[in-house]
Amino acid sequence: MRALRAMPDLFRVQIAVVVAYRAEFVIWMLTATLPLIMLALWSSVASGGPVAGISQDDFARYFAVTLVVRQLTSIWLVWIYSFEVRTGRLSNRLLKPLHPFYQDATAALAAMPLRVLVLIPVLAAVIWWRPTLLEMPEWSALVVAVPALILAWLLQFTIQICFAMTAFWIDKADGLFMVFFSFFAFFSGYVAPLSLFPDWSQPLLNALPFRAMHAVPTELVAGMTTADAALWDLAVGTAWLVGFAVLARVLWTKGLQRYGAFGG
Amino acid sequence: MASTLRVVSGLLRASLVTSMQYRLDFVLDSIGGLLRTLAALGPIVLLFSVSDGVLGWTTADIAMVMGLYLVLHAFLASLIEPNLGAIVEAIRTGTLDFILLKPADAQLLTGVRQIKIAPLVDLPVGIALLGYGAWLSPPASPLDIAVAGLLAISGFFAIYGLWLLAICTSFFFVKVDNLRFLLWAAVDAGRWPLPVFARWIQWVLIVLVPIGVVTTFPVQALNGDWDGWLVGVGVAVGLAFLVGSRLAWLASLARYTSASS
Repeated sequence: MRALRAMPDLFRVQIAVVVAYRAEFVIWMLTATLPLIMLALWSSVASGGPVAGISQDDFARYFAVTLVVRQLTSIWLVWIYSFEVRTGRLSNRLLKPLHPFYQDATAALAAMPLRVLVLIPVLAAVIWWRPTLLEMPEWSALVVAVPALILAWLLQFTIQICFAMTAFWIDKADGLFMVFFSFFAFFSGYVAPLSLFPDWSQPLLNALPFRAMHAVPTELVAGMTTADAALWDLAVGTAWLVGFAVLARVLWTKGLQRYGAFGG
Repeated sequence: MASTLRVVSGLLRASLVTSMQYRLDFVLDSIGGLLRTLAALGPIVLLFSVSDGVLGWTTADIAMVMGLYLVLHAFLASLIEPNLGAIVEAIRTGTLDFILLKPADAQLLTGVRQIKIAPLVDLPVGIALLGYGAWLSPPASPLDIAVAGLLAISGFFAIYGLWLLAICTSFFFVKVDNLRFLLWAAVDAGRWPLPVFARWIQWVLIVLVPIGVVTTFPVQALNGDWDGWLVGVGVAVGLAFLVGSRLAWLASLARYTSASS
């Protein structure tokens, strides 16, 4: 309950931070060129006709949505914890009456308005380049896309927490996460729509958590999947979320004991 | 000249030893880097499985472009980026003065002080891809190979010059290392053949961030698809960046008022 009462102020502070460092935020956002590069690539591949049933317009729509979904679910906790555990700055946050995760969550959420603001001209440019990509998906798909996006964000956050917690034991938390991220980029539909993958791999892709972290909301908004099909993916994703949340809790408790042992 | 070479080789040896000091770190970094490189090859594998080329560029061509990119990336991440990044830090803390006081050329000294060995894992992967692409392609004439080599080297120096130019801005503005991340993001486009991108983007990737000269031009040359114009542009870009960055470096040093005095 205490957490809920503190939220408005936490948000205010974090939004002030975002505004103060807006130039760097914008530059960080601009470095996420990968969806645009992939858009150019797959569009070119499909220039001679649809690839695995996906046309040029489909690719354009998919990657435009990927841009948005990625910006809205992008979190970089690992570096923060890596730095704070190493330098002992975490002690500062532990002294506060609120669990540090609340601050991390609000920090990630507070950056969203600025991200959306910067996305608008980029999206406008993509739509101007391919006006035919503008196509409304079914209402049911849009409705399911909202919890799908929330689930994607929660999965990103929780998994990052798990990797961030390894900073209590090893120096390479960020290196470890970057390996995970490169596999995430491939198996989550970030660099290529998952329907391009061979049929025999689809059950495996559906079982992994990566799908729910990016592909599900993206495919729903891009009109590449239906609400019914997505419900099963959401269930799988939620199961993974629960698992990771439990792991995060365990790692936090164990990690904190170890951190305390350093006499911080 | 001989003494400069001795200095450079000494520095290289020292930085190599330093970077391998922490054996476990080094092994873990290398494994992590290798895994990331392999995961990054995912899209190309996918591409090969759903189509046999893009816009006239065959599987072999695309493999060679990616291979060249990985070779460049290996040197960029192991040699260029750590050293030029260290310059920014040296300017901020004032330790650049110590380097400037030494009797050898500052640009040379700062260029070889640090080596990160781990990113070099990309080198064998890149060479393997190059070999795979070359094996699938019809053999190239010695002239084609020579032109390709010339273009690749010219492009490599152009990228180095670009990075150095970006670093020179930190003589005047403190927090511009974000610029390097933008450069990385732009260089990332070099994994794929230039024709994939729109015309204006192709020009950006030749003239502004010359990654296209390193990865696409040489493969075109190996296919025999080159002319005087291509070679001219490639060499001109390389020379322009090399000379331009050297001039910018000297000008920046001339205006540099050291941190302590």
